[in-house]
Amino acid sequence: MFIGVTGYNHESSAALVDRNGVLIDFCREESLSRIKGDKSFPRRSINKLLDSNNLKINNIERVAFYERPLSAFLHIVKEASLHMPRSLDLLTHQFRNFNRSSVSCFLDFAKFFKGLETKLIYSDHHLSHTLTALAYSNSKKDICSVVVDGFGDRSTASISQIVDPTEINELWECPYPVSLGLFYSSITDYLGFAINEGEYKVMGLASYGDSNSKLAKLVRGLMDWDSSSNKMISDMSYFDYHISTSNSFSSKLKDLLGPARNPFDQLIPGDIDFQRCANIARGAQDLTIYLLRKIFTHAHKITGSRRFLFSGGVSMNSSSIDHLAQMPFVDEIIIPPNPGDAGCAIGAAFYCHLKSNSFSDIKISKPSFFPSLKEKRNDELLTEQIIFNEFTFLERREENAFLKAAELISKGEIIGTVLSSSETGPRALGNRSLLCDGKNKYAVNRLNTVIKNRSPFRPTAPAMRYEIAKKFYKLRPEIIDCYKSMSATCQCLEDNISLEFPTTHVDGTARIQIVKNNSSLDKLLSMLEPMGIEILANSSLNVSGDPTCFDLVDGLMVCSRTKLSYLLTDLGLLKRKT
Amino acid sequence: MKKIISELPIFYETAHAELASALEMLAACKRTNSPRQALGYFMHAKDEYNHARSFFKMLSVRGKRASIKIARDFRFKPPSLITKGYISKQGFLIEKMKLKDFIAFVYTNELLAKSSFENILTLVGRRTEEGAEISSIMSDELRHHGMAKKHFLNHYPALQPWQLMIYRIRETINNKGRKIYDANLKFLDRLLTPLYKTMAYLAGTIAKKLNLNEFQRKDKNLMNISSNSIL
Ligand SMILES: [Fe+2]
Ligand SMILES: [Fe+2]
Ligand SMILES: [Fe+2]
Repeated sequence: MFIGVTGYNHESSAALVDRNGVLIDFCREESLSRIKGDKSFPRRSINKLLDSNNLKINNIERVAFYERPLSAFLHIVKEASLHMPRSLDLLTHQFRNFNRSSVSCFLDFAKFFKGLETKLIYSDHHLSHTLTALAYSNSKKDICSVVVDGFGDRSTASISQIVDPTEINELWECPYPVSLGLFYSSITDYLGFAINEGEYKVMGLASYGDSNSKLAKLVRGLMDWDSSSNKMISDMSYFDYHISTSNSFSSKLKDLLGPARNPFDQLIPGDIDFQRCANIARGAQDLTIYLLRKIFTHAHKITGSRRFLFSGGVSMNSSSIDHLAQMPFVDEIIIPPNPGDAGCAIGAAFYCHLKSNSFSDIKISKPSFFPSLKEKRNDELLTEQIIFNEFTFLERREENAFLKAAELISKGEIIGTVLSSSETGPRALGNRSLLCDGKNKYAVNRLNTVIKNRSPFRPTAPAMRYEIAKKFYKLRPEIIDCYKSMSATCQCLEDNISLEFPTTHVDGTARIQIVKNNSSLDKLLSMLEPMGIEILANSSLNVSGDPTCFDLVDGLMVCSRTKLSYLLTDLGLLKRKT
Repeated sequence: MKKIISELPIFYETAHAELASALEMLAACKRTNSPRQALGYFMHAKDEYNHARSFFKMLSVRGKRASIKIARDFRFKPPSLITKGYISKQGFLIEKMKLKDFIAFVYTNELLAKSSFENILTLVGRRTEEGAEISSIMSDELRHHGMAKKHFLNHYPALQPWQLMIYRIRETINNKGRKIYDANLKFLDRLLTPLYKTMAYLAGTIAKKLNLNEFQRKDKNLMNISSNSIL
């Protein structure tokens, strides 16, 4: 058995892979600590992997950390040292926190899992991303990997050619501090949203913006691609992320675009500042699409490949994927369901597996979308009194519970789900979801405002089967797998009724989910379709600001804290007492 | 403006503390073997979540009126629950403490929380809408305190109320100690900052000369790079 872990600089997680190259279990630390974006050493996750799978430390052959700790540290220090004395605060922070950085990974293993520290190895950050993505590809040979993120342990974007899993040659990189990911985060921060969380909001906001507006053009000019050197370039004087701990953008950016937005102000379409912010977001989105197209073009040029793996935080920019799929040389783009840093634990675990097996005998199985096993616990007993006091059982038998849930959805109700294992990535695909009739404007609106408190400019995703999706949306075969994990948006067909759906964004796109066969949503839709409902609106089950629910108690808590009335669980269908 | 600047940290920190209590209770709920206790912790966690929401709302009202520069410093980032020490790096209280100590901790801290809310109540005014919200939070805390006390005496009947009293004194001293320690740490920090900066400057001067190019990966097979190297 092999374990991969991430943490410290980015969200922490742990993954378990067996000798046959099968992902057995995966857990994000935030799922267990309930602290969104938890970066601490993934102690709970590792414990959970060991407990749920009846493993002892001596059953683990190797453990891999997903990046090279000293490299990440030194690259930041080196860059900051070039900007002294302005960067003195960052440098002081780096040195003072040296013992709390990922360099202490070895010590944390020694402290919490005595014995595992001797089995610790290190992978490259972008290699971990690549291996995560590779696991989800059907073919493991002759494919190009594009990684674009904020910053890993040496670069901020890279292109590698995968000959086979034992030969992964890096051909191009974008050195820190020029970074498309950190640029997007800085704009996110400037617009008053939280870094690593608000990027989705910027993407949603961009649809309201005008590419021809002055502000969009100004933002669009902050970075570029130099065709003679094939490099991404950036005027760093607009950014402070490489010299400051507290500011991601400089006062020069404020001089250029006007004052940053107060994070406490609500942004509502129609407000005075809304259009200005939307235009800035539009510029950031346009620039992202432009640079990604350049990177992919270069990747094709140097590798000759027509098939691409795409990972790193920037690959979560789902509305750029449709543009990439339209490039003439693209046959296929694969994005793993957790392309951010938390997902790297999966790549790191596969790295152990590859390093430990004789190279002639390599198997990597395509992982399930729902690998996160439940904790070993008797949920039925634990929640007995909570349910007795706060809820009533509408149906206990699985078939009946699903049927009843379908009936309620058809009547315009909203259902939460805590079913089976949980999703790998940040997107709920049905097992930890909030669902309602995707064509019912009232229900979708209620889901967004009363239960989720989502920003009014962020659309909800529609989920459906492939045959249904074809009727409404312009699907691209190159990214068909991306739709299964909600990793790409698509256009509504021209003059199509789908333009009127409440799940369609203002620019006529939707972040659709094509439901996998035999999944919970597939089962629910098979009961809903005879009732005339073929599309579900699907959002993650959580109160905004919290991590997505992981276990039944979390689900019951969301119900208790919000106006959500129904919860479909493995124990049956529950209704909250008023 | 001055008033807002002085109020922001109070609501910011209190919201952190309440959310941390919610997470502590949720963790306790998931770790108990008794369905009855699970219900108790569940309801308690729900209250604390609601308290946190109230304080975040009050924070937001003030944040809106503050200058952008200041408001940005009071954005809530969940991981700061750990970095600010509201949730220990070593784990939740229930993971670290004996059950008896945990309940005693809750028993005492609920009362301490209530008394700290008195100050906030004076700040916002008793007759305001916020005042009413805080008063209702205070009565929740008093209820939590009562529940913990009952639970404690039920499970440890051999213990006398005076022993609980000792627990309470101990926790109060601990809490005061934490505050003094924190204040000293901050003072020490201010004192040492010039020294740290000088050291960082020296280290930075050396780092400037670092050549990291030899660790570049271009044209290398990433799978062949030593898996033991941290660089
Ligand atoms: Fe990354
Ligand atoms: Fe409270
Ligand atoms: Fe309380």
